[in-house]
Amino acid sequence: MDVVLSGDKIGSRKAPAVAADALPGLSSRDQLTRKPATASQAGHMSASLAVLSEYVGASHFLLARYDLVQEHGLDFVVSSNWPFDLVRRLESEIAATYSRSTELDKCMSVLQPKFGLLPDDAAVPTGISRQYCSLTVSVGRTRLALMLLFEENFVLSPELLREVGLLTGYCVSLSTRKAQKSDRDFELTERELECLFWIAEGKTSDEIATILGISRNTINNYITSVMRKTATKTRSEAIAYAVRNNLV
Amino acid sequence: MAYPEGPFETVREDLKASTSRQVTSRSDIFPKLVSLQRALHARGFAVLRVTGAGMLSKRRLTAEYENWPAAHGMGCEPFIAAYGETLLAHIETSLLPVLWSAKESDSFAEASDFVPFVVQLEARVLAYSGIAFPVRLGAVGNGYVMFPTTGTVDLPGEVILDVHGRCCKLMTEILQLDERRAMPSEALSEREIACLQLAGDGRISEEIADHLKLSVHTVNAYLGSATIKLDSVNRIQAIAKAIRLGYIT
Repeated sequence: MDVVLSGDKIGSRKAPAVAADALPGLSSRDQLTRKPATASQAGHMSASLAVLSEYVGASHFLLARYDLVQEHGLDFVVSSNWPFDLVRRLESEIAATYSRSTELDKCMSVLQPKFGLLPDDAAVPTGISRQYCSLTVSVGRTRLALMLLFEENFVLSPELLREVGLLTGYCVSLSTRKAQKSDRDFELTERELECLFWIAEGKTSDEIATILGISRNTINNYITSVMRKTATKTRSEAIAYAVRNNLV
Repeated sequence: MAYPEGPFETVREDLKASTSRQVTSRSDIFPKLVSLQRALHARGFAVLRVTGAGMLSKRRLTAEYENWPAAHGMGCEPFIAAYGETLLAHIETSLLPVLWSAKESDSFAEASDFVPFVVQLEARVLAYSGIAFPVRLGAVGNGYVMFPTTGTVDLPGEVILDVHGRCCKLMTEILQLDERRAMPSEALSEREIACLQLAGDGRISEEIADHLKLSVHTVNAYLGSATIKLDSVNRIQAIAKAIRLGYIT
């Protein structure tokens, strides 16, 4: 007659039995979910990342707004426990890697761990390997890079790395202090964007005028406005700009 | 997790091997989706891609790679109609998987050990429950892989993580197939690429000619042949395609 109610199952429907082999791992899995989630919701990304790093066996983590690496300063760092000097030292290398790959390359390598070598003249903590691991994950329009340091001779698991990358994405999704791209849509209006889209498809002003049902002069005005706002000199440059910035 | 010996090299080779294994056709994609369906004990699958470039108002979810026949309120149509807008908004800010429960009270989908990391959509709308995984690769290759489920389903966190990761990999393979279809019929020559790059940087033909020590006519000829090879109507469209395909930056 004694009914024992489990603390977190009150009121919830009876769930199907969990697989036996999942039970021993349940408490650590619980740790892996609850702590990072709560921390992220409160805006403390560093606490979440600390738990995730421990899970994958990393000694240090760095979460960066990968899409902001080319701007000056260290604004692109969201959260990190890397030695500060190392981050400064690496700043230009990260920016260079970013510009060397195309948007397509970046899309294709989401959640795939890549390895890099810290420069010889960089001061690395004792016992830590010069090889760092990085993987990217996208949350909305923001592309993030998670860079991890490990102890020397540590064997990495690609599956765990991918899990941690995904969990980092989840944490950022929950984070109140959104590491989101501020609206940098360059103040182009909907109509202007529409014109750009059609130009990228190879349409002439006349054709666009027909498609949108407005006059050719209006179309040309939109295009002039776009070139002014984006500081471009030719239509070719304006389109290149639009494609590079994922506006079309 | 921690092994005292063993070099980095082994891991790197494994990863290299897996990334170079090329997906050759659509028929490579289906078995992987079936495998994911089984892992979730689901009754079907569908890959929904976000179409409509740039402008938010033009975005739609389009179904591809379906194994979820439409009949008696099943299929993707009711799903997109019911949740389409919510899903499009969700993928703009979040990577969390979404779950939903069906109209019948004895059919639901939940993840009791993963609650903070999933989002429950408005329940009791569709004739079936299920889970959908958002995939965001970047400018392209975005969408959801959705799996309708039967009866009551409580998915463990590790299954969700595993499937979600595999869905991401799958979308990159689908993207790879798309890009291969868009490849130019003939490879672009170095000169053609150089002219396209300079044009994309804002130079007019005369300036490009000066820079490359060619005549204006030659430059225009290179731009013309590049345009044809990229299956475009003019050089502007060619530049757009060249950037998307990675020929120029």
